[in-house]
Amino acid sequence: MFKELDPLFMSELRLAVMSILLSVEEADFVFLREKTNATAGNLSVQIEKLQQAEYIDVRKTFKGKRPQTICKITDKGIDAFEKHVEALKGYISL
Amino acid sequence: MKEVNDRQLNEKESLELITNMIRNTRQRMEEGSGTMFLIWGYVTIIVTMAVWGIVSYTGNYRWQFAWFLLPILGYTIAFFYKKQRAMKPRATTYIDRVIRYIWVVLGIAGFLLSVISIMHRLPILFIIVLIMGIGITLSGLIINFRPLVISGALGMATSIVLTFLSWNIQLPAFAFIFLFMTVIPGHYLNYKARKNNV
Repeated sequence: MFKELDPLFMSELRLAVMSILLSVEEADFVFLREKTNATAGNLSVQIEKLQQAEYIDVRKTFKGKRPQTICKITDKGIDAFEKHVEALKGYISL
Repeated sequence: MKEVNDRQLNEKESLELITNMIRNTRQRMEEGSGTMFLIWGYVTIIVTMAVWGIVSYTGNYRWQFAWFLLPILGYTIAFFYKKQRAMKPRATTYIDRVIRYIWVVLGIAGFLLSVISIMHRLPILFIIVLIMGIGITLSGLIINFRPLVISGALGMATSIVLTFLSWNIQLPAFAFIFLFMTVIPGHYLNYKARKNNV
């Protein structure tokens, strides 16, 4: 029987953000935007959705005088991501 | 890279995206990775040669207090470099954190030993080269960059030689060790990082 896929990870941008955050300890918003080439508005919305699901932690701080948003994957996010990948593997092996 | 947008992915596309993103983010050497080695390397060489030149010329050993220029100049330049670098988009990896902790611990050890060497007789140049060699070798092993491992290990090995040299040869030798232990691998590391990220 197929395992259920996490609907939050069905979006390309949210999945990309989670994949990047899995490889680093934390990343700032500009770094994520550079890696995904997404628009700032779209990225903000998707980050907020991941934060609401408690898959990532978002910290607002300042870099000099400029505001900075730092994102970090949570343990809950790692668990959800692993389960999603496991489920994906189940579908692919068909 | 093409824009990642909000579309829905199928299973195969999902796995491809995960693989690409992880590959794209991981292990790329950051540009400027070798700059801290260059800062401390050049500052050490310049201060060492200045102390050696002035003390040899004047014969006045009080000029040895000019050694304090080393931490002052080194930390000031490193501070402004880090501040400028912090303005760039950034991700911190576990490797960055481990390397930072290693240098903080070694820096504290080096500072304490330098202070103690003012009060007690210690082969401080040998100790400093040994500490730097340990830090450079460990950094090289962690980021898997062989030239750094080799230069650090060579530095540790040659540190022993310093204990057999007289003062007037010891200082140029100390500067020379820093040249091949920090400056050369620092430039090479920056070159490789630039090349990898093109």
